[in-house]
Amino acid sequence: MESEVNDDRIQAFTQEIGELKLRGSRGDRERILLVIGVIALIAGVVLAVVGGFQASGTTDLGDQVAFLATGTFIGLALVVLGTALFIRYSVARFMRFWLVRLVHEHRSETDRVVAALREIESKLGR
Amino acid sequence: MNTPILELSHIRAGYGAIEVLHDLSLSVERGQVVVLLGPNGAGKSTTIKVVSGLLRPTSGQLLVAGRDVTGAQPDALARAGLCTIPEGRGIFPNLTVRENLVMATYTGFKIADIEERAYSRFPRLSERCHQLAGTMSGGEQQMLSLARALATDPAILLLDELSMGLAPKIVAELYEQVASIADEGVSVLVVEQFARTVLGVADWAVVLAHGTVQASGPAHEIGDEVLAGAYLGSAPK
Repeated sequence: MESEVNDDRIQAFTQEIGELKLRGSRGDRERILLVIGVIALIAGVVLAVVGGFQASGTTDLGDQVAFLATGTFIGLALVVLGTALFIRYSVARFMRFWLVRLVHEHRSETDRVVAALREIESKLGR
Repeated sequence: MNTPILELSHIRAGYGAIEVLHDLSLSVERGQVVVLLGPNGAGKSTTIKVVSGLLRPTSGQLLVAGRDVTGAQPDALARAGLCTIPEGRGIFPNLTVRENLVMATYTGFKIADIEERAYSRFPRLSERCHQLAGTMSGGEQQMLSLARALATDPAILLLDELSMGLAPKIVAELYEQVASIADEGVSVLVVEQFARTVLGVADWAVVLAHGTVQASGPAHEIGDEVLAGAYLGSAPK
């Protein structure tokens, strides 16, 4: 059997496997980025609120600018980043689930249609 | 001796806290048909999931063509030429036979070539090319999933319970095709619960029970006693 093996195909396969890039589990990475998104979102809101309160608690213009710059603006940037990460990775998970659900429903629907057609055929005596 | 095209070395894998495969080792040589037999819950389908990259083992190594690919993405392995026909129907029942074959063009093959290859191997499919795949018989659906898999020019073919729900005559026909696929140089790892037909076309057999190898050897040497022992729970350790 060995002599009949398609050597070219095996060589190409070995080469492709050799060039394969191995990454960590994508599922784990998605979960980590989703969690980072949520943390960034919460931290951003907290930072923005604290920055806003601190800025309003002082009459010194320099302090106000510093609080707004480090608190509110960085906080808002974190909110935007966190929201983007959260939407990207939660929607990806949902869309995947939705796709599987859709395929499953199509299969069940086709099975029902086929069963109904067979029943009709048998009743018509064909 | 050549490096095995596929090798599992001391694989442990499972779902959450439940470990299904306990220190499983097996190998498939080039152009060989290896059958993995065992009762329900033995870990056969889990093994296929590990090999195809769908399930990451908790320990051990998955070697393909001599390279450690443990943790590789299933799509990358599939693109390289490791093709899986999953348990049940691996087709889109709401698409026609031809549309199912079109789905295999993702690998870069032209639909005309894919159709030629599929219809020459399974002439019955050409008669049904415009029929909805889900309305064909179980055997024809399996022919279609085999045809679609072969259209991608695989180097390794993983078959999970090809015989499920099919008449023995159809199963024998399908396994004849599997044997001819192996003759062309494709290495095949078959998972089966029912041994009789597949042992006739396999070179090597591995009997699994409770996630460990209970027996292995040339397929023609795997006797009823070994199988009965594994299936009824008295397999030799």
